[in-house]
Formats: sequence, C-alpha cells, structure tokens
Amino acid sequence: MSAATATTAMSASTGLGHGFNSSPIWLKWQPSPCQRSTFLILRAASSPNTGKGNKKKPKAKKTSPTPTPITTTTTTTTSTESISQDQPQQQQQQVSLSLDDVNPVGLGRKSRQIFDEVWRKFSGLGQISRTTRVDDREALDALLIREGPMCEFAIPGAQNTTVLVVGATSRIGRIVVRKLMLRGYTVKALVRKADQAVLDMLPRSVEIVIGDVGEPSTLQAAVEGCNKIIYCATARSTITGDLYRVDHQGVLNLTKALQDYNNKLAQIRAGKSSKSKLLLAKFKSEDSLNGWEIRQGTYFQDVIASKYDGGMDAKFEYTETGQAVFSGYVFTRGGYVELSKKFSLPLGCTLDRNEGLVLSLGGNGRSYVVILEAGPSADTTQSKLYFARINTKVGFCRVRVPFSSFRPVKLDDPPLDPFLVHTLTIRFEPRRQRPVEGPAGMKQDPRSFKLILEYIKALPTGQETDFVLVSCTGLGVEPNRREQVLKAKRAGEDSLRRSGLGYTIIRPGPLKEEPGGQRALIFDQGNRISQGISCVDVADICVKALHDPTARNKSFDVCHEYVAEEGRELYELVAHLPDKANNYLTPALSVLEKNT
Amino acid sequence: MALRLPTQLATRGTFHHHNHTKTTTFTSLSWRRVLSPDDRLPSSTSLATKKSHVQQLVTCSASGAAQAVNLAPGTPVRPTSILVVGATGTLGRQIVRRALDEGYDVRCLVRPRPTPADFLRDWGATVVNADLTKPETIPATLVGIHTVIDCATGRPEEPIKTVDWEGKVALIQCAKAMGIQKYVFYSIHNCDKHPEVPLMEIKYCTEKFLQDSGLNHVIIRLCGFMQGLIGQYAVPILEEKSVWGTDAPTRIAYMDTQDIARLTFIALRNENINGKLLTFAGPRAWTTQEVIALCERLAGQDANVTIVPVSILRFTRQLTRFFEWTNDVADRLAFSEVLTSDTVFSAPMTETYSLLGVDSKDIVTLETYLQDYFTNILKKLKDIKAQSKQTDIFF
Repeated sequence: MSAATATTAMSASTGLGHGFNSSPIWLKWQPSPCQRSTFLILRAASSPNTGKGNKKKPKAKKTSPTPTPITTTTTTTTSTESISQDQPQQQQQQVSLSLDDVNPVGLGRKSRQIFDEVWRKFSGLGQISRTTRVDDREALDALLIREGPMCEFAIPGAQNTTVLVVGATSRIGRIVVRKLMLRGYTVKALVRKADQAVLDMLPRSVEIVIGDVGEPSTLQAAVEGCNKIIYCATARSTITGDLYRVDHQGVLNLTKALQDYNNKLAQIRAGKSSKSKLLLAKFKSEDSLNGWEIRQGTYFQDVIASKYDGGMDAKFEYTETGQAVFSGYVFTRGGYVELSKKFSLPLGCTLDRNEGLVLSLGGNGRSYVVILEAGPSADTTQSKLYFARINTKVGFCRVRVPFSSFRPVKLDDPPLDPFLVHTLTIRFEPRRQRPVEGPAGMKQDPRSFKLILEYIKALPTGQETDFVLVSCTGLGVEPNRREQVLKAKRAGEDSLRRSGLGYTIIRPGPLKEEPGGQRALIFDQGNRISQGISCVDVADICVKALHDPTARNKSFDVCHEYVAEEGRELYELVAHLPDKANNYLTPALSVLEKNT
Repeated sequence: MALRLPTQLATRGTFHHHNHTKTTTFTSLSWRRVLSPDDRLPSSTSLATKKSHVQQLVTCSASGAAQAVNLAPGTPVRPTSILVVGATGTLGRQIVRRALDEGYDVRCLVRPRPTPADFLRDWGATVVNADLTKPETIPATLVGIHTVIDCATGRPEEPIKTVDWEGKVALIQCAKAMGIQKYVFYSIHNCDKHPEVPLMEIKYCTEKFLQDSGLNHVIIRLCGFMQGLIGQYAVPILEEKSVWGTDAPTRIAYMDTQDIARLTFIALRNENINGKLLTFAGPRAWTTQEVIALCERLAGQDANVTIVPVSILRFTRQLTRFFEWTNDVADRLAFSEVLTSDTVFSAPMTETYSLLGVDSKDIVTLETYLQDYFTNILKKLKDIKAQSKQTDIFF
C-alpha cells in the first residue's frame, strides 16, 4: 500500500510542477508498443485504490464527445478509466473548457507525454549510463553533432566557410571531405564524373560539382560560393600532357577562377577584392616608361681602380617588339646602375594592405636588388631605404618579394612599414652575380645585364590561407618520370604563389594508407625528408591549415618521423606528434620560413 | 553484399546462424528462468556461466565448420574497414566520428527506422540496415569487415534480453563464422559482481561468451558517460525545470565518450592488448549531489532538485517485478541495487594509461567538460537573445 501512496503522491506533485491544470483528464490512451510498459506500470501501481471508482464509468464515457478512433484492448480501457477516476475533482473543471480542449486524443497524448517525462526521470535515476532517448535526440544532436560545444572537432568559423575539395575521390581527398564534414564545414566536391561509384564515396550532403581542372569554363560553377580550396587532385598518369593539365594548368586555372570569383563579389560590393593584387606599374607602351629614371653610382671610391675605369652605362627603352628593356653594363668596381620611380598610387590607396611585391621579369638571369624608399612622401630627406635581393632566370619569370624580406640599409632603422613606401628602385650591381647556367651563360660577362620588365604588382595581405595545395616531394615516383612529375608540380606551385591568394603548399612523402595520428610528424623545408606519411595525416594538415595563420604562404615537406635502428641515430629532427590538443601545426610551422 | 559470396557459402552460412539462434534462444530462455527467482545470487552466476559454456561448445563445433569454409581463398579485407554496431548511440556516434577522423572506413549497423540516421552519412560513414534481433540480417553486414566495434545496447523501452543477449550472441557467432579479425565489446564496470542486475549479468555472460568464442577481442568496461549528465542535469537546470536525483552515496567516475573513443582506437591498434579486459573510468568519481552542485555553480542558478530516496527506487523495482509485463521496467531499475551496494563505481587507471601510452592529463575531467558546456551554451543563449532583439528592430 505504501508503494501506491508513493506513486500517487508523486504523480500529483509532478502534476502541479508541470502546469497540469489545462490537461487534467486521463481519458483514453493510444497505446503504442513502446509505451506499453510505462503505461502498465501505472496501472500496477495504482490498481489497489481504483476499485471504488468503477461505478463512475459511464460518466467518464460521456466526457468523450467525439467518437474516438482508437482501438484499445479491454484491459487498457478499463485501466485508463479507472485511472481517470483518480482525479474526480479535476473532471469538474473541464465543463468550462471548449470542445477542442477535451478532445480525448489530444488530452490522452498530452497526459501521456507528461507521464512519460516523469517516468523517464524516475527510471533514469536508477541507471548508471543511459542511451539518449529518441525525443531528446533532436536537441542533443544540435548540441553534440553540429555545433558540438564540447567536441574536440568543433572549429570556430567552420559554419561560415565553404571549402571546395578538388580531387575529392583521391586517397587524401576522400578523408579531407570527411574531416571537413565532421567539423561542420560546407563542402563542395569537384569531380570529373558523377557516377554511382563516386557518389557512394562521398557523404551525401556534400555538394557535387562536375568539372575538370583542365577546363577553365567548368570551374566557375565550382568556385561559386567557396571561401577556400583544398587541391588534392593529381594526374592519373605520368604522361606529360596529363601532368601539365592537372598538376600545372589545373592549379593555375583554379586560382584564376577563385580570383575571378572574388573580384566578382567585390564588384557587387562596389569595391576591390581584398584578395586581388594591386597594379603598381605595367610596361605596355612607350608612355609607361615615363617617370622611370636611370641613376648610377658607386659604393666606394677606389682610387687605383678608377684609373682603369671601364665606366658604366645603362638605358631603359621600349623596343619595337613591345618590351620595356633595362640594359647596360657596369665595369666600374663597386659601381651600380639603377632604375627608379616614385609611385603614383590611386588616392587613398597605400601598400599597408599588401604583403609583398610580385614582379614579372625577363632577361639574362642576373640578380638584382630591389630597394624601397619609405618615409613621409612630402619630405624625401627623411626617407629610409630598405633592400631585398632577387634572382631572375634566363627567360621570363615572376618573382615574389614579400615585404618581410626587406632589410633596412642602415642597421638601426626600424623594419619596413609598407604604409610609408613611396619609391621603388631596381638596382644592378656586378657584385655577387651567380654564373648563369647553360652554355650561353659561360661566355657572358657577368657585368652586363638585360632586364625585360612586364609588370610590378603588390600582393594582398590576409590572415588565413585560401588555397591548400598538396604537391609532392618526388619520393616514391618512378625514377625515370620523376623529373617530369616534379616539373609539373613545381610549375603548379609557382602559379599558386604568384596568384596573390594565401597559399599553403604541402609536400608529403610517399603516401601510406593507414590510420592517422599514430606517429610523430616531421615538418621541414629543403627537400631533406626520407619517410612516408599516412594519407590521413596529410588530410589533417590540410584541414588544420585552413584556419592557421602560421600556415599562410608557406611550403613545407612533411613525413613521418624516421625511426632509426638502434645505435644508428645520426641526428634528431624536431618531431610533432598529433596530439589531442590538436595544435601541433602552429608550433611546427612557426619555425619554418614564410613565402617559400 | 552477401550475394557476392558464392551462393552456396552464403546460404549455408545463414542456415548455420539460424540454427544457432534457435539453440541460443532455448538456452538463454532457461538462463533467464534461472535468474528470475529472488534468491539466486551466487549460484545463478555459476549456472549462467555454465550455460554459456555449454552454448559455447555448440558454437565451436558449428563455427569450426563455418571457418573451414572461410579459409577458402578470398579477398583479404583492409585493416581499416570497421563495423560499428550501435552507431547512433551516445558512445557509438563518438566512435564513428573518431574512426572517420583517423581515416578508417566505417560501416554502421543501424536498425531500419522511419527517420534514418542521416548524420552518420553526412560524416562519411556507410550505413547498413540490420537488426540484431533478426540474426538473418547480420551476416551480410560483416562482408569485407576487419574489426567489429560493438557499442549497442537495447532501447530502454524494449526487453533487455533481445538485443543485449540474443542479438549479441548471434553477432558474435556470425563474426566468428565470417572470420572477423577483431571484436571490441563494451561492458559495464563490476558487472561480474552484480549478477542481480540483469543488464550487468548479461554483459558479464557476453564477456564470457566472447572470450570463449576464440575471436580476437578487446573487452572494455565502462563506468558512466559525461554526455548522459547533460540531459539529466545540465539541460533541466538551464531550463529551470526540476532535476531529479537520488540520495545514494554512490560515486561514479564519469568519462567523456570522446575520450573513450580515443582510447578504444589506441587499444585496438595495440596488438599487446588482444584478448585483454580493460576498464575505463573517469579521473574522479562523483555523487549525484556533487554533480548537481557543480552544474548549479557553473550555470549560475539554483536547481529545483527533487531527491528521490533510493529505497523508493528499490521498492518500485520490487513491486514491478511481481508482474510479468513490468519485468522490463524492473530490469531497468535494477541498477538501484548497485547504487545502494557500491559506494565507488570507479577503477584505478594508472595501469591502463601506461599500457596504452596515454597521458592522464589528456583525459577530460568533469569540471572542464561541464565548464565547456555551460560557457558555450550561455554564450549561445546570449547570441540568440541578441539576434531576436535585432529582428525586433527590423520588423
């Protein structure tokens, strides 16, 4: 008997606690198989004191004005009605209610919900660990899966980021897609053909775009709405055409497509894309040479040498073939010639939103010194000089010079502030010229030079990387094709570096298909690695690099730690074990060189 | 998928399993009957184990035949292909997520249901429909699988025996017959000491059954999940609803399911742990009252706590046991026995940590877990409030 009192007392108290007054009637039940046990437990508990209520049965029936479409077993009807007698005073109240309020189905459902809730809590007390119930699941899913406040996968900003994965069905790409989905990114996947095998491989909520990196026209749809790109496609064969199409031209096409898309967005906002380059000078006509002046000078006065001075000369001219050529010779010891111009930037436009220069140059492969003058433009006497050495190749090339690589000429000057830059100078000096490779270079005098200028642009700055490119170190490629593969990959890397997008270039060792996070990783620059790496670890680096400022504008090799045989350890590299804190990438990359 | 096997093999295999389950049902029925009387404690354990031993004998002879079939040349399975049973559960989803993140190819065995578990597919797992209570659906799901991770348990509303015992037996037998190379089973801490609790008894018998099956296996005993506390205490406190607690002095070492998943995969890859029984417990054991107090402190509001004495729980259990149709409920309430008898539901973890090579500092404590939860939730609530204000201005 005491059990019965306990249960009734409980249901009464919870009734009050839940604002029970609007749904007081325990009329009929819609028994569903899953509710059976809970329901019957009530009957069992309350059966001792319900016998007396049986005479009110007809009245209870009258309170259901609409014919109930419920089929109930005899046991359940009797028990429900007997329960309904437990609250006779509440039945009085319902007279004032409208017809809808006493709809027995609704009431039954409501009361059942309330009872379930109470019962669930009660029975939950006796358990140690429980599974989540179906009704809780929606709420918990929102918490634990999508936004996951306490889940180690959650990345702030992932919700607002759309990532295009190129090569989503490759060994790395497959896992990259999964990892992005787990972290709540919106993912687009670029595939060549959307057949069933491909669709099965990708999570269903990935947006699939059909296209080919070799076809620029198909890429516009792919980059639509994307903030970042992870490029893990690679040529399927080592045929030169394939290599060129995917590893070189593919990257170039995609960077262009993303830049075009950024510009389009910027135009809609009536501004300039923050990711596009700023044109400083373009040498396309005679007029474009105006303002550039040639100067010459010497670093020191050598009295003896000046007697035998061969002199120096330089000219800057626009040729009939449409090239701006800066050429000449310097025979004087310690002499130099330079080409200089004061910028005329558009109003309100300064270089502080840029992080470097990119120069498109041609010529005979000399090295030059780029000198920036910085200071208040009104008073040039206060200008400070900063220099950086650049190397060119025989033929045409584009050279990236980040502002961070400029050093002050006077050692105690502060570091370069791009905001104050007003004059750019390109200087040739015969000192420290490398001998030019190739048979033609052997005969050339290193004191003469020829520099063809195409354009000078400023690279935009940014916090995060926009384009993650998975390249390769060349290990594991069949040796007789290694040259070609590497050439295509390097060309692809270069086109990415020059695009102005923030980039991260990952060059993994030979890929292994095994679970990730097991072994320590070595991050290195300079092609020294010797080990393989798991595809999963590469995918993890790709995903982590998306939001890591230290990963911006870096190229690096990565492989598993080399486990030396006992007694044969030669040297130790700093290894980074992918740990739970998940931040191995930042410390690993912060020591590496930028703009590589 | 089963159709890709030679037809003969497939059908034979299925028949085997079918027969098996029948025998299983019988034995387990008798096992069940042995359990029902009140005074059954020590003797019943031995009986039950004996029963499972008998069963195992039957199994071995049959599965031996199945294995002979299995030795026929076939495609080797990739060691990264795993099957997660119970993938929609609190622990299961973390297992799936962890596995996917570590690069495994995950297949999830999920019961057919009207609203499919889309989140698993979204993450990149493959979902196959099967039901442990229907043994004929199991073999097809095991094709091409290297490792089975079994974190399934019956839903609260269904009889405890069908999934947790009969289903598991069928699954283990299938796994054996189909040459699954590793089987991870989650059990409950101290399940050997509480034969009076049906779920624990079943888990203990399943452990024994698995050990005797000859499968390469890892058994992991768990104490309690931190995730469960969110629904039980944290959400009601935030919503200012009443929170129910018991006055039991029991302490439970709650653990983050993400940690469990992480450690599981470390154990899975470690060949030295084959056939071992591990216990995972959280860093500290908590009573209900302490957990509620912690939630109150972090949420910055007082909870409306209803304390239910354990005696009532026990009494309800006794009462519900009288009726046949309430036996399931009685089974679920049976933990109240544990609550009254065990004072600390925890295990020393130092050995496990060193075995797995894990730093104890990496294991999440309940304080940090709940702290994380509340800071995030409170921030989110504030955001929502701010947003709703903004929309007010717009309209």
